[in-house]
Amino acid sequence: MGFQIDKESLIQPVAQWARVLCVCFICAALAFPCPAQTADSPDSSEYLIKAGFIYNFANLMQWPANTFSSPDSPIVIAIVGTDTSGGILDEVLAGKKVAGRPFAVKHLKRGMDLKGCNIVFVSASETAHLDEILHLVKNLPILTIGETPSFAQRGGIINFIVVDDKVRFEVNVEAAKQADISISSRLLALAKIVPQTDGSKVQ
Amino acid sequence: MNRHEGRPQIAAGSVQENRVSARAGEHSRPSRACTPGTQRWRTAWSVPGDRSASAKRILVAVFATMFLVTSARGDSGQGAPDVTAMSVEDLMNMQVTSVSKRSQKVADAAAAVFVITQEDIKRSGARNIPETLRMVPGIEVARIDENKWAISSRGFNGRFADKLLVLIDGRSVYTPLFSGVYWDVQDVPLEDVDRIEVIRGPGATLWGANAVDGVINIITKPAKATQSQLVQVEGGNEQMNSDTVRFGGKFQDKGYYRAYAKYFDWASGNGIAGQNAADGWHQVRGGFRSDWTLSRADSLTFQGDLYNSREGETLTIPTLSAPYSETFQNVGHYSGGNLLGRWTRSTGNSSYSLQGYFDRTNYSDNSLFVDHESVFDIDFQHDFHLGDANEIVWGAGYRSIQDSNVSSFTVSVQPNHAHYNQFSAFLQDEVRFLDSRLRVTFGSKFEHNDFTGWEFEPNIRFLGSISKTQSAWVAVSRAVRTPALTEEGLRLNDVVVPPGAPPFNSPVPVIEAVFGSHQFQSEDLVAYEIGYRVQASNSFSADIAAFYNNYTNLRTAEPGAFFVEGSPAPPHGVVPLVAFNRMSGGTYGIEPFVDWKALSRWELVGSYSFLQMNIHKNSDSSDPTPDLPNGENPKHQFYFRSSLELPKHLQQNLIVRHVTQLSSLNVPAYSSLDGGIRWTPVPGWEFAFNGENWLNHRHTEFVPDFVNTLPTVVGRSFNVSVTWTSGKR
Repeated sequence: MGFQIDKESLIQPVAQWARVLCVCFICAALAFPCPAQTADSPDSSEYLIKAGFIYNFANLMQWPANTFSSPDSPIVIAIVGTDTSGGILDEVLAGKKVAGRPFAVKHLKRGMDLKGCNIVFVSASETAHLDEILHLVKNLPILTIGETPSFAQRGGIINFIVVDDKVRFEVNVEAAKQADISISSRLLALAKIVPQTDGSKVQ
Repeated sequence: MNRHEGRPQIAAGSVQENRVSARAGEHSRPSRACTPGTQRWRTAWSVPGDRSASAKRILVAVFATMFLVTSARGDSGQGAPDVTAMSVEDLMNMQVTSVSKRSQKVADAAAAVFVITQEDIKRSGARNIPETLRMVPGIEVARIDENKWAISSRGFNGRFADKLLVLIDGRSVYTPLFSGVYWDVQDVPLEDVDRIEVIRGPGATLWGANAVDGVINIITKPAKATQSQLVQVEGGNEQMNSDTVRFGGKFQDKGYYRAYAKYFDWASGNGIAGQNAADGWHQVRGGFRSDWTLSRADSLTFQGDLYNSREGETLTIPTLSAPYSETFQNVGHYSGGNLLGRWTRSTGNSSYSLQGYFDRTNYSDNSLFVDHESVFDIDFQHDFHLGDANEIVWGAGYRSIQDSNVSSFTVSVQPNHAHYNQFSAFLQDEVRFLDSRLRVTFGSKFEHNDFTGWEFEPNIRFLGSISKTQSAWVAVSRAVRTPALTEEGLRLNDVVVPPGAPPFNSPVPVIEAVFGSHQFQSEDLVAYEIGYRVQASNSFSADIAAFYNNYTNLRTAEPGAFFVEGSPAPPHGVVPLVAFNRMSGGTYGIEPFVDWKALSRWELVGSYSFLQMNIHKNSDSSDPTPDLPNGENPKHQFYFRSSLELPKHLQQNLIVRHVTQLSSLNVPAYSSLDGGIRWTPVPGWEFAFNGENWLNHRHTEFVPDFVNTLPTVVGRSFNVSVTWTSGKR
């Protein structure tokens, strides 16, 4: 087929075509940024995967007996700091239930009260304030989840890490005990267990 | 924003993770002795080229097939997987792919930032760093011959373009000789690149003088991320052979290292008239990087590289005897090396880093010029939070530059041996208002150099979050470009006008020579920028930046008093053109970029760059050179890429580029259709087949300034690569 095509006659139309295509594409994309939001959201984005993990975590752990006021009171998840997921967690968990409990996702700023929460997700935006945030929830029955290096070592319970483009997680078992949260052994078997190395015992 | 001279880093109080990793970069270039002497070898390594009829036939067929496959697959979308129905094990096996990867890094920057990811590099089929930059809006990449480029940001392009700062892992690779970059010797194994951050517009407050129209940070992966062994072999008609070997290892949990070696050999190309340009080149380089964790807060990085490169060109230089110019095949030798160390300490609320490097470049363009440069740089930075609302960054640095050179009749730089010092300090505060919805960044760099004394480069930037997914920014900044060594002490004999010939009609030959001058001052820029970005969903992001740049004191070449010299013989007249600062004017432009995952397996990327330059000589200028920078830059550039994941571990890319004409260089507009296919049949093995300019629209991309190197034609080229990585699951 095509190898004998006269190159010169091809080039002009292609250049033209390329130009038109690019312009159309860019204009269309700029003019309609929103459709993309509704029309898709597929793809295995990092935060979609993380949302899946968070759902599973909720499923595979137990809070202390008196944590929830009624059998159908929601599991309250607070996102502290910039929502790096861009709202994916809200979307994924909407309408989902674990043991009959729905989810309620809140977006909080650093420094706000975290007492009523069951899960606190600390965004990467709060890296500089980890100690402060972790101190707030110390000894409370709250599952803390982070996404910054050394989050778990510094007293967080679970930390996401991305290795070779795959999401993995670390668990600080000691911190879970302090929070009186029991984590299923199935989950622990898949986690990278990390020790606590915070403030008091610098190593 | 943050960042000075050294380590790369995106502007503005951006994502912390980014800031941390950004500090961890750096790489290759400089040092070695060069073989002086021998001029004008006919290069034995000039080689066939891209022309073989049967190969063409195969290429076209393969390409056509790819096209069909593309269109056939266009429609089978998938919905988002229900991650709540998946087990933890399943989730652990999911590959992270997302548009947001690129944009998260830039979401909080009050500047026009573009991030080239590792995946972008693979998808682009780029064979070297200049080729990766072609996708970035606002950046002009033009190949002069096989081993020379003209690359700039927002105008003023040239082989010696002087308004763009380039850093590899925090080490400035800009040469004080002409304030530009020897692109031919800036290389790293592309597999080891973590990302390339490109900031258009001034970055002077953090990075200092010469970050006038842009900053490019090439950031390699930490050693921990390159623990596997890698062997890569590539070959094609243009890049005939390229081999990379890399391995990594551990120092008892406390540290990681990697080392690499790379060799490549490029065939020579052809001039526009079809002649062999003898511009082949080959290069060998090696290097290492090691990262140590000293304690929870402290980390240490050491890295270094060595290289040796041999490059051909067809060169025309003026002579004092008939026919008053000669054209020949010239060979240049470049060698160099560098060593960098960086200590970083991060505690809860602050971080410190101290970095030092040594960088040596030997340049021997036999017939023209020999130059040895040694740069020693030390740089400190402290970054801390003051209360809840302020994040302060300050730093200080010192740079020592040693230059020694050997002149020729064509080029000389005085003094032949010199030592220069630069001191700098900067301070910047980022203040957050309205729950961080508005961030104001302001600060300035203060810098002292031996030529113009103190320079200050302030900026102020506002970043506002319009909603969770949208933000807008505006910035006003000042930047300067301080004089290069050549602008102080150059003499370049550009042309010899034969006796009796117009315009001089002199009885003896007359040299038109370009001179540097001690009265040459810094060039100044005040830039006004505005931008908007949206991350509408996980699969769609767009970014648009616009700017107006107001330049003053740009370089001109003013005629000086005619004089006669007797040496070298025969006696001849000299018409000097002396460097002055008598040009000014404005440029403006707009640069949209869109990244859209149309389907879960289909990503579309598009960008457009518009640039209008209205630069003019001042009324007191009598610069006779007709060319203003206006016509040396394309007014429009388009880039479009489609990337498709196919079954059977295949991945296919298609790229369309269009660059409009360079009117004053008589370089016509060109289009290029590039692309290829990548196959990862089993973990650890990757096969790629890429081509550039499939339609073989043979074109030149630039005509060089100052040094009269023969530009060569870009034709169709293809490249096959096989990569093996150990232990990859």
